[in-house]
Amino acid sequence: MQNKKTIFICCGTGCQANGSMKIYQAMLKAISGLNLDVEVIPDIKKTGCHGLCQKGPLVHIAPKEITYIHVKTADVPEIIERSIIKDEVIDRLLYFDKQQNAKVQSKSDWTFEKKQYRIALRHCGGIANDSIDDYIDKGGYQGLEKVLKTMTPEEVIDVIKKSGLRGRGGGGFPTGLKWTFAAKAQGDVKYVICNGDEGDPGAFMDRSIMEGDPHTVLEGMAICGYAIGANQGFLYIRDEYGLAVENMRKAIADAHSKGLLGKNICDSGFAFDAEVVRGGGAFVCGEETSLIHSIEGSTGEPTPKPPFPANQGLWGKPTIINNVETWANVPVIINKGADWFAAIGSEKSKGTKVFALVGKINNTGLVEVPMGIKLREIIYDIGGGVGKNRKFKAVQTGGPSGGCIPESKLDLPIDYDSLIAEGSMMGSGGMIVIDDRTCMVEFARYYLKFLSEESCGKCVPCREGIKSMLKILTDICEGRGQAGDIELLEEIGAMVKANSLCGLGKTAPNPVLSNIANFRDEFEAHINDKRCPAGVCKNLTKLYIDSKVCIGCGLCVKSCPVGAISGEKKQPHVLDEEKCIKCSSCRERCAVDAVRVR
Amino acid sequence: MQIIINGKTYAANPGEKILDVARRNRVEIPTLCHSEALPGLASCRLCMVEVHEGGRTQEVAACTYPVTDGMEVVTDSEMITAKRKILLALYNLIAPDSERIKGLMARYHVEPFDRLQADAENKCILCGLCVKACEELGTNAISTLFRGTKKKIGTAFEQPAAECIGCGSCASVCPTQAIEMTEADGKRTIWDKTFELLRCQDCGEYYTTPEALAHVRQKLGDTVGNIEELELCDYCKSRRAAEKLKNGLRLNELFDATVK
Ligand SMILES: Cc1cc2nc3c(=O)[nH]c(=O)nc-3n(C[C@H](O)[C@H](O)[C@H](O)COP(=O)(O)O)c2cc1C
Ligand code: SF4
Repeated sequence: MQNKKTIFICCGTGCQANGSMKIYQAMLKAISGLNLDVEVIPDIKKTGCHGLCQKGPLVHIAPKEITYIHVKTADVPEIIERSIIKDEVIDRLLYFDKQQNAKVQSKSDWTFEKKQYRIALRHCGGIANDSIDDYIDKGGYQGLEKVLKTMTPEEVIDVIKKSGLRGRGGGGFPTGLKWTFAAKAQGDVKYVICNGDEGDPGAFMDRSIMEGDPHTVLEGMAICGYAIGANQGFLYIRDEYGLAVENMRKAIADAHSKGLLGKNICDSGFAFDAEVVRGGGAFVCGEETSLIHSIEGSTGEPTPKPPFPANQGLWGKPTIINNVETWANVPVIINKGADWFAAIGSEKSKGTKVFALVGKINNTGLVEVPMGIKLREIIYDIGGGVGKNRKFKAVQTGGPSGGCIPESKLDLPIDYDSLIAEGSMMGSGGMIVIDDRTCMVEFARYYLKFLSEESCGKCVPCREGIKSMLKILTDICEGRGQAGDIELLEEIGAMVKANSLCGLGKTAPNPVLSNIANFRDEFEAHINDKRCPAGVCKNLTKLYIDSKVCIGCGLCVKSCPVGAISGEKKQPHVLDEEKCIKCSSCRERCAVDAVRVR
Repeated sequence: MQIIINGKTYAANPGEKILDVARRNRVEIPTLCHSEALPGLASCRLCMVEVHEGGRTQEVAACTYPVTDGMEVVTDSEMITAKRKILLALYNLIAPDSERIKGLMARYHVEPFDRLQADAENKCILCGLCVKACEELGTNAISTLFRGTKKKIGTAFEQPAAECIGCGSCASVCPTQAIEMTEADGKRTIWDKTFELLRCQDCGEYYTTPEALAHVRQKLGDTVGNIEELELCDYCKSRRAAEKLKNGLRLNELFDATVK
């Protein structure tokens, strides 16, 4: 059927929250109500995440390649009428691309997409996430078949090693090397674990992969099972990720029914099974030793390494634990070869990385880029620049373990090593863009507060060090900072990094230390001048209206909840500092930026 | 196998930890949560040392880091001592009244933080030794409650625990004497639960609770669970053992087992 049309409706969690399921249903209904012309067969699939969540719900029509954004149920009849029955494009629903200064018909031509390179997310948004047939149609499970029929376990590990793949869960440990350790470790029983705990606030790439392309994860794990000699896998999935759990369970069942999991896979004699375990609900449960204890049924607290899981992991057996995104790369590497993969990326970081681009940026969503791309390209070309035409201040990577990178470093090609050299981290791939109205002291405090709640509390440097650092930072933000505080934060921070038992503590001071390194003047302004330059810390903020700039529009008067602003129409207004509660509503509202921080 | 600590070479055995070799040779490395009977907690982080191994330098916890042939360990470099001081100053905030911590502060010339307020009420450093001791006994009466900065040690729901046998093992392993155990009028109170005390068959002093004695008997089983030495206090037990040894009866191995 040559004229077969396909309508893709994004049903990832982000779009679902925006009502995409209703659109899906409306679409089904509208189509079934029509006496369909044979040439038009809308094939509605439930797909995983497209990436540009902020523009959702997204509807994509193939083969004409039309992408509609912000679709509402009310738009459904018009879409059917004009774009399915006829072949027209509805201009009003197209994406306006700022960089191109034009409406763009297909998402593949969005500037947002052009600098991206999709490996891990290759299927997300392109296949039905509940259909194993779709995955197989796209070449799925060919990697597994290839290793089982034509490769020895050593050859598999060799390919992964040569590809240069490094762990996408944060640390960036070479995946092939880790597999070698487990392959060499003694023991008949070995395990493979997928780390789907994704605790980094703001990151959601693992969820998107598990929801949108569950089979790629299973295939990756089965390939590893063959390579190291393991027959059982566990998928440890964050408890809040209901849809990921559901899709993954269905994927396991479907793979079983096709003989791609279970005994004697592809008549090779190799057996591999997988099971979903729901997460323990704490950030630290994503740390590999905690995660293993959590699966074993004991408290999800870290234990010292060595022993490393590859030698002595789950129930004391050699265990490979990799991140969701790492797994998603494995089948592609097997299919396309190590050289193909190693040609993408920078010298020491190969392939791509998925980032969750959020914060004060025009295009938010998941982006997958080749390693070595410049931060500037991500933020300005893909992200469309800082929102509301504000000034860029910094970009935070690595979540609670990472740090902020200032404007001066925007041309940094990003990979594991360059980010660490800047006092940050790749982390799981959260990327938060910060504008000049963010206080860097308060921002560091936010992460420390998170960590003080999430530290398991087992070891003293982390538990007590974070507590003391948080106390000092809170003092600074509230106007009680003292001379010497910055140095004390640095000293305690260095100790916490060195002495803590697990990765949580070992990286916990990063947000504070990197902000001190890059924005020391802001800390000093808080401590010495009792002033918050960004106008965020209330005790240290005084607002005023610049009479030379104010046009007297009166918007600020309406926005002020305490009536602190007065003035005649078209005359400069005045802000009563005594009454002002520093909520900054007026500042947000003012169109000419007349509300200033003293 | 040999390792070098602070420039001197020492013999080591595969499987040993750095701390084992150091302690055997009287090389000083401070610890709070380490107990030879209950090793591996690694929570106090005071035993950090600098390790040079395979061309790499790392700071590791001596209590859990395994030795490798030819590794070089430094216990008192600037890198280590500066952080040890900061860590001890933090300990002083959590448990300022603990004699053990006061001693360590003096030993390593640590000035308290004047910028941060100490928690005068508290003595517990949450090292977890008590919980581990109770687990090891198989009683599991206490555990850690909550997480992170709210963490504490206690019985389930902070109510007197049916599992507690009043043996006092937790209090005796505690490095900072943080667990309150009081004895008066032939009664012992610990974790909000009061126990009768039994008298030693030799000297007549109070020495344990009937629940603890029953627990030991049950664990030892029929073979040795009935020996009369179980009804003696530690002092009289070792006195008798010494006498028997003098008499050529090598029963001390058995006593070791019963004391455990
Ligand atoms: C506090 C903490 C939280 C972590 N959370 C996660 C997580 O949510 N997901 C993840 O894949 N790795 C997480 N990690 C990293 C894991 O310990 C482990 O290194 C990773 O799963 C290994 O997989 P990879 O080599 O594929 O990255 C965390 C580490 C720490 C210290
Ligand atoms: S570093 Fe923090 S999270 Fe990790 S074991 Fe220590 S207290 Fe727990």
